[in-house]
Amino acid sequence: MLSAASSAIPRLRWAAPLGNLSARKQWLLLRRRSISSSSPSPYATAAAGGGTLEPPDLPRLADAARISLSPEEAKELAPKIRQVVDWFGQLQAVDLECVEPSLRAGTAAGNSLRQDTPETFANGDAIIHAIPSYDDPYIKVPRVLNKE
Amino acid sequence: MPPPLQAQRLLLSHRRLAPSHRRLFTVVSSLPSAPTLATGAVPSSILSIRESLLSGERTAADITADYLSRLRRTEPSVRSFIHVADAAAEREAEELDRRIATGGREAVGPLAGVIFGVKDNLCTANMPSTGGSRILDGYRPAYDATAVRRLREADAIVVGKTNLDEFGMGSTTEGSGFQVTTNPWDDSRVPGGSSGGSASAVSARQCVVSLGSDTGGSVRQPASFCGVVGLKPTYGRVSRFGLMAYASSLVVVGCFGSSVIDTATILSVIAGHDKMDSTSSSHYVPDYKSELIPQDLLESKPLNGTRIGIIQETLGEGVETGVISSIKAAASHLEQLGSVVEEVSLPSFCLGLPAYYILASSEASSNLSRYDGIRYGRQISADDLNELYGGSRANSLGHEVKMRILMGTYALSAGYYDAYYKRAQQVRTLVKKSFNEALERYDILVSPAAPSAAYKIGEKINDPLAMYAGDIMTVNVNLAGLPALVVLCGFVEGGSAGLPVGLQMIGSPFSERASYDAAVNRLCLPDGFEASRIKFQDRFHGVY
Repeated sequence: MLSAASSAIPRLRWAAPLGNLSARKQWLLLRRRSISSSSPSPYATAAAGGGTLEPPDLPRLADAARISLSPEEAKELAPKIRQVVDWFGQLQAVDLECVEPSLRAGTAAGNSLRQDTPETFANGDAIIHAIPSYDDPYIKVPRVLNKE
Repeated sequence: MPPPLQAQRLLLSHRRLAPSHRRLFTVVSSLPSAPTLATGAVPSSILSIRESLLSGERTAADITADYLSRLRRTEPSVRSFIHVADAAAEREAEELDRRIATGGREAVGPLAGVIFGVKDNLCTANMPSTGGSRILDGYRPAYDATAVRRLREADAIVVGKTNLDEFGMGSTTEGSGFQVTTNPWDDSRVPGGSSGGSASAVSARQCVVSLGSDTGGSVRQPASFCGVVGLKPTYGRVSRFGLMAYASSLVVVGCFGSSVIDTATILSVIAGHDKMDSTSSSHYVPDYKSELIPQDLLESKPLNGTRIGIIQETLGEGVETGVISSIKAAASHLEQLGSVVEEVSLPSFCLGLPAYYILASSEASSNLSRYDGIRYGRQISADDLNELYGGSRANSLGHEVKMRILMGTYALSAGYYDAYYKRAQQVRTLVKKSFNEALERYDILVSPAAPSAAYKIGEKINDPLAMYAGDIMTVNVNLAGLPALVVLCGFVEGGSAGLPVGLQMIGSPFSERASYDAAVNRLCLPDGFEASRIKFQDRFHGVY
């Protein structure tokens, strides 16, 4: 049972189409390619049967998640993520026709909302104190727009 | 004919004294003879602390000093705590003593003098709260989490913040951004995770009880690995306000104790509706410990007619034989106590694991977007805002956290949502349904809390799927939001004195009391704590 849960994961062969470039250059090239191109619909391949979806596009995901992965990190993470996502894929084979999705456990009784009246939080100073770059009354950040 | 008390005692480990000072525990066998246990009052550290305080036999300062000295002695080996609040604890103890001296028993709360540890993903006002992550290094929250506040209001004393896998993501506590906690039973092994520090702190008697959080087994699996009692309440039973969010639809604040009655006492204090958490339930909070009866008052078949179902899928391939025999021995003992025990199959059991990881990663990718280096935590310097976000997060978030955020981002992204997230939610419906059906036929479902006893540090750290596979016993319970209690039920070989194995007892929503009824004080499972205390005397050569 347990081995079934983790079995049949295709081993990822780390493709190196840009083999003659350094790791960093490969990474930058992949990143630029994926951001500028539009990714094909995942269902194009899914329709072909076997439920295969497009594999995770790591540079794009890292961008969406606002995590600046280093090339070494990306190289290390990509096969692991691919492996886990392939394992997720086993749900494709399950017949889930007419099954309602559950948002939550269903044990907490409904949503209890409080009165929409403002309340003052007593320890506001501690919140301000935690801010790394503060210039009363502004939270300082570097420039927001960066026109390249 | 043996006296009734004898029949109820359960020996779940057969102890042999080896020629050296080491004591070996062999694989479980259920024998009628048992090491002698204290009769009379139900064993409780909380009660005995309260009694000794109010009778004047001991002072709170004394008790606190006792725990702190044991903590300092064991910490170099166990490393349960990211932060120890010794000065504050000593001050609070002195204050308690003053109040008792002037006002007597009415002047202090029901948990007076109880030293407790808090998992570092629960906010404690003005005390470092890192969530096990470097990105919150130095962060001091402005408020206490509700569970912490309620314990403090009952006059319990926070002794420190315990170690955890970063933001609750992991099953070994090796994922902490700060240190690796070891299992008090064998310091080359993991204590389990993600609440590994909370479990090991109670196991090593560094504190009386501790708080943890359970998203996919993070209280129950370490409780099993460390040989302590661990409770995961019903989803919504305890407020999540002040708990650093990881997977909001799955997580619940739980607790560890050295006995069932202690965890029952803690649950009574922390449970209940909280206006700060709209998912907290208004369901009535009973006094969980009031139903627990001392051993000598029990009739010979205290579980008369209780229907217990052993989950078939948890006793098969992939589960260690030592664990299976511990569970089966516990089951036969439950039968001796009058219950009806059968095997039951839960059809969607195996699907729960990938569904859980899809849901948890997806919710995590959303919840952890708040760690951007702007309002709290570590900030790297950058030329523009995106670089500041990207750099701060890349710099300070750990490997496993990054992986889960990226996987979650993928599962939620346009075009993939239906294939992953929605399907996982549908599997969730199936899992809930199969539990509900089983719980109509049985009062309690039982299983191991993990497929093995504690494994070696470093063994699974590079293989994410192997680590996730270990959660198979626990994740379905979170998907369904059900309560589950883990109690020590046996030992397997390993380490210098054996490794504990826990029995997981799952009930229907808000039935925590039913599990308690069936567990230690009716089951009369030995206070495995006596055994562990003796081991600690051996290990740490000290007054214990």
